[in-house]
Order: sequence, then C-alpha cells, then structure tokens
Amino acid sequence: MKIAEGQVFSLIALIIYCVAVVVMISRARKGMKLPELYKVPGLEALDEAIGRCTEMGRPLHFSPGIGGVDNAQTLAALSILGYVARECARYDTDIIVTNRITVVYPITEEIVKQAFMEEGKIDRFRPENVRFISEDQFAYASGVTGIMYREQPAANILVGAFWAESLIFAEVGAIAGALQIAGTANTHQIPFFVAACDYCLIGEELYAASAYLTREPILLGTIIVQDWGKMFAAACMVIGTILVTFNITWLGDILGK
Amino acid sequence: MKQQVPIIIGLVFGMFVIVSMFITGVPFLEQTKDVLNDWFLIAQAWAVAVGVVNLTQIHMRNVNMKRENYGFSIWLIICMYGMAIFGIFIAKSPNHEGWKLMYNDIIAPMNATVYATLVFYIGSAAYRAFRIRSAEAAVLLVSALIMMLGSVPLGTMIFGEWIADAATWILEVPNSAAMRGIQVGATLGAVATALRILLGIERGHLGGVGE
Repeated sequence: MKIAEGQVFSLIALIIYCVAVVVMISRARKGMKLPELYKVPGLEALDEAIGRCTEMGRPLHFSPGIGGVDNAQTLAALSILGYVARECARYDTDIIVTNRITVVYPITEEIVKQAFMEEGKIDRFRPENVRFISEDQFAYASGVTGIMYREQPAANILVGAFWAESLIFAEVGAIAGALQIAGTANTHQIPFFVAACDYCLIGEELYAASAYLTREPILLGTIIVQDWGKMFAAACMVIGTILVTFNITWLGDILGK
Repeated sequence: MKQQVPIIIGLVFGMFVIVSMFITGVPFLEQTKDVLNDWFLIAQAWAVAVGVVNLTQIHMRNVNMKRENYGFSIWLIICMYGMAIFGIFIAKSPNHEGWKLMYNDIIAPMNATVYATLVFYIGSAAYRAFRIRSAEAAVLLVSALIMMLGSVPLGTMIFGEWIADAATWILEVPNSAAMRGIQVGATLGAVATALRILLGIERGHLGGVGE
C-alpha cells in the first residue's frame, strides 16, 4: 500500500481542509459567532424573481444545468432548487424544471414535490412541470428554447454546470422578457452569463448558495474554511511567483509531490 | 430514516472512492472502486427508462387534451419509440446502414444546426451588452474588438502585428488571471460542497435545504 504518485500534497491538503471544516462545524454547533457573509446580488435576487412570477401570473423556469449527480455544481443547483421550489409553493407560483440527465430528473421531481408538501400545498404540485427533455445536449437546448417561447416564464434561473447551450438559454430567456439569474463554475461559460443575464453567480458563489439562503451556522462554518483555503492558495501563488523569479523551486517541488 | 439511509450510503461509498484515489497497491480498494463505477453506470442506464416514461406521459397528455401544437408531441413519440424499436430489433448494431442514416444523416446535422444558431445568439448578446453605457461595458467592447481584430488576418493587415500581440496578451494575462482566480475558489467550493454532502450537513439533493 502506498500513496499515489503526485498526490501526497493533495492528500495532506485535503486532510487539513477536512479537519478545518469539521472543527468549524463543531464550533458553529456550540454557538460560536460567525462572520457575516458579503451580499451576493444573484442570491438576493431569487426572491425578486419569484415575486415577479407571482405578480405577472407567469411560471418560473429552472434548469439545474447539464451535469450529472457526480458534478458538485449540479448538487449545489439542487440546493437552490429546494429553496426556489419552496418559495414558489408558498406564493402559488408555477415552477417549470427542465432536465437533461435522467438521473437528475427524479431528484428534481422529488425536491419540488417535497417543497410543495412542506408548504401544505401538495394539490398545487404539477408533476408535468418537472420535465425530462433529452439526454442529447442540443436536443435539450432546443426543448428548453421551445418551452421558453411557448410558456413565457417571468423568471429564468440557470444554475449548475453549463456548456455551449448556456448562451442559447440566456438569450432565449432575454427574448422572452424573463428576469434572469445564472450561475456556474465553468469558467468558459461565465462571460456569456455575465453578458446576457441580469444576475450572475460566479464560481464559488454557486457553492455558497445553500449556506447563504438558509443562514445555517453549520453551513456558514464551511464557507469560512473555504475562504481560508482561498487565502492559502493566493499566498502560495504570490510566494511561488516570487521564488520562481529568483530560481528557487522548493515550493513548487513540495506542491508537486 | 428516509434521509439517513442515503446519507450513510453516500458517506461509506464516497469515502471509498476518495481513499481509492489517493492509495494505490490495495487490490480490494481498486476492485471495489471498479464495481462501484459499474453500479453507477447501470443505475444511470436504468434511469433512462424513467426519462422515457416522463416524456411519454407529458406528450400523451398533450395529445389526449389536443393542446396547441399537439402534432409535435405525436411526432416526438413516433421518433422516440421508432428509433428505439429499430435499434433494438432491426439494426442491433451501430454499424447498420439504416441506423447510420438516422444518426449520421439526421441527428448529427440537427445537432450541428442548433449549435450553429449560437453565432446569432452571440451577436444579439454582444449587442445588448455593448449598448449598456458603463465602464464595464466599455472595457468589454474594447477588449472584444481587439480580440476579434487580432484573431483574423484582416485585422493584422489593417492595424499591423501589434493588434495580434494585444489580443494574445488579453487572453493570456488578464483573462487567464481572472479565470484561475475563479477556478481556485470554485474548486475549494466544490470540495466543501462534497464534504457537506458526505457528512450529511447539506441535504438539498434529498429534498430539503440543509437542515
């Protein structure tokens, strides 16, 4: 038994990171005061989007992206879906969820159903509004485009892993006159969402959504560790750049082990 | 109980996969990882049936209620089941001429067509973004112009080599720096999310937001 080549530092970093998360969770459970999160306009706008749909009597469209359940972005999107579906149920607003991945489809259906159940409005839950469109990327894009044109949602929420179809969705949403909130950690798609949507969750903001929306201290604790990790990575980059400039490579050697 | 069982299963198998990524030379770990991957593929394949049932229900309802454009629903059902039946009982192989005709000559060009529409969406998105009178939109406009002109021979012909160098600099320096910054944050966020899910703190995917 041995540690895989080139993974020693990653393993140590992961262990330290996990320990820090567990420590923060236990401190949060004990009621330790946690720092405030900065305002994320994209997440603040979720209520505005749901309110807009309610006032206009039009549905809300939600896409959890085209990634599978093995993609952390999809899991983060499902957390946001839980919140959005519950608010939609509370205000009697129709929510249309379109899925590309068959494994994700029953999960989204269960989340929406659960949300309506928790609000005591299971009779308002319409299973036909949680739809599987197609496993094919562009067939899915066409299906969503058709739904946007036909059903004219007042808000379009696109969160999760997106690839080439991102701009198609965002532009069709704009043409339909929907308020658009998008979020992805796929860096090559972020510029499209920034240019075409009203609000955009950039990278890590997507993963912080569940903590932000619930204000659950335990979840907030993990966000703090995330920030420590970022500071450590930034410090490594700055120090590493300076050291390499002077031909000193020990930091790079350690990180590459 | 409904939520605890999936959390326990997730924790046990999730830890297995993580450990097998870092530790080598333990046949039991490697074999179990392969078995788990096979299980995942089988579960994924079975989930297709769930999707087919959903599509059938939605489109049969459209047909029964004679909703607007219900003809497209009939067409979808015919194509979906027609292709499945043809593939399973007649073609039996992806090299069958009829199957290749359906896939290479119908589905692939249709996919390419939808992909190609992106160019128009890029145009309209750019127009809307550049119309906004703000400093950010101005930066976006200037860098997009340099990128476009620097990437085509006509740009270099008119403005000289500097425009191609400027385009490369924008792509490799400020753009790469921003992308890497986002990637670092996103990767740490993904690890934290995975950990929250493994520990059962975040339960959004089980139908509830992190209680």
